[in-house]
Amino acid sequence: MSARGFTMILAAILLFVSAASAAGRPSTHVSTRVSGITVYAAASLTDVFPKIDPGPRYSFGASSTLAAQITQGAPADVFASANTTIPAQLFAGGLVQKPVVFTRNRLVLVVPTSNPAGIHSVYDLRKPGVKLVIAAPAVPVGNYTLQVLRQMGLTSVLSNVVSRESDVRSVLSKVALGEADAGFVYSTDAKTVPGKVKVIKIPAWAQPKVTYAMAVLSSSDNKAAARRFMNEVVGKAGQKKLRAAGFVPIPGASPGS
Amino acid sequence: MRRALLALLYFLGAAVTMAFLALPLLAIFVHVSPGRLVDQLSNPVVTDALIVSLKTTLIAQALILLFGTPTAYLLASRRFPGRNACVTLVELPLVLPPAVAGIGLLAAFGRFGLLGSTLRLAGITLPFTQAAVTIAVAFVASPLYIRQAIAAFEAIDPDLVAASRTLGAGPARTFFRIVLPMARGGLAAGEALAFARGLGEFGATIMFAGSLEHVTQTLPLAIYAEFEVNFNVTLAISALLVLISAALLLSLKLTFLWQPSEQTSRSRFALSSWS
Repeated sequence: MSARGFTMILAAILLFVSAASAAGRPSTHVSTRVSGITVYAAASLTDVFPKIDPGPRYSFGASSTLAAQITQGAPADVFASANTTIPAQLFAGGLVQKPVVFTRNRLVLVVPTSNPAGIHSVYDLRKPGVKLVIAAPAVPVGNYTLQVLRQMGLTSVLSNVVSRESDVRSVLSKVALGEADAGFVYSTDAKTVPGKVKVIKIPAWAQPKVTYAMAVLSSSDNKAAARRFMNEVVGKAGQKKLRAAGFVPIPGASPGS
Repeated sequence: MRRALLALLYFLGAAVTMAFLALPLLAIFVHVSPGRLVDQLSNPVVTDALIVSLKTTLIAQALILLFGTPTAYLLASRRFPGRNACVTLVELPLVLPPAVAGIGLLAAFGRFGLLGSTLRLAGITLPFTQAAVTIAVAFVASPLYIRQAIAAFEAIDPDLVAASRTLGAGPARTFFRIVLPMARGGLAAGEALAFARGLGEFGATIMFAGSLEHVTQTLPLAIYAEFEVNFNVTLAISALLVLISAALLLSLKLTFLWQPSEQTSRSRFALSSWS
């Protein structure tokens, strides 16, 4: 290889490296930015986490899918799940450090604004031919959905299920598009498509305990930054953003404290 | 000296390529013992998905043959304005991201799609049905067949067709007795590729048809659904798909090895005429 060619390649590499590091450098204007870490988070946190901190690289998906990826050695630093059981399992397996509960949510039934199947309560799901979309049972929201149906004695409506989606946002989009007649999602998801869906509340006595927990990965190279990110989420500003998005504060965290 | 270096570079390039392509496939079989893989195949998730996959893919292939063959023959034998646009159109799904195909199918055939209200009048709703899976498979797989079929038909010596006609055979007889038999190698090759592509269809299916065990959950969708539930099942399905695909490709190659050319066409197995 000629000396000139070598110099050019070297220059290109240097340019690339400096551009990449510049992109990764936190902006000095925002003091609460944690960068250089990867956060694996439940699909229902898609909109709110980047608002709490735009710094980290995010990967959103079904908590169960993310957990499977972590089990397979995915290079994440923080894992935030839409339940407490999956982080507890990973903790038991030594894959993450002790999980921390950071917010709660409510399950709701959503129907398209046009409401083609005329559904006005959860009990209307029993109507024959209703196209109900739920999440797969391994996905937290799918599990919560089964809990609600069992609690309300409505497991027969499972025969109206036309698809078991891979995460909560896929359920939401099938309903928002009008392809499905109804679907179970978190109340915070319903808020992200205003005007597209109508929300039907689930009776309080049938409401499952939707609790989110997060943890630092044991394999993280940047545990300090990962913990800083978690502190942001449980901190005042983070909790305020979560409340604004419709999440329910964890017991003990009084509003504004 | 220079030549030896070049040969070494070729060899290195080939070795890296082969290892790169073979390793993930081998890993599927190494990860779990063959006995355990076979055990997983009797898992109802796998058998259900296999049935859904075979059913929808076979119906899609029948439709592709039925509609794709005349389309390909027309595009191969006639020259008309807009022909290039037509060829590009039938090839487009080949390079289109499957997710785009899924959105397109929803926008066209969904309940609120372009044809949604028309279909509803006829009492048909497509999303979440096996028909939707079949449509998604046909959409993404048909270009592989049609492309190949066009090449196969184009490779036929037009003089032979003309001779058949002058000898008194009608156009239909010429097509079924001369054109189809001569093109059958290329058609089979295209069909096999379309079959393999259809069997692997994922993106368009999950968007347009959803995923429900026993109804719309095909083998690739089952891999995705079971990934977080039971990794061994996903390995078993993956192994099954690797074997089916390899068998398809091998049988195709063997067919052409065993059948010495008995026709004037240069390329019966026109895979190389792709570029």
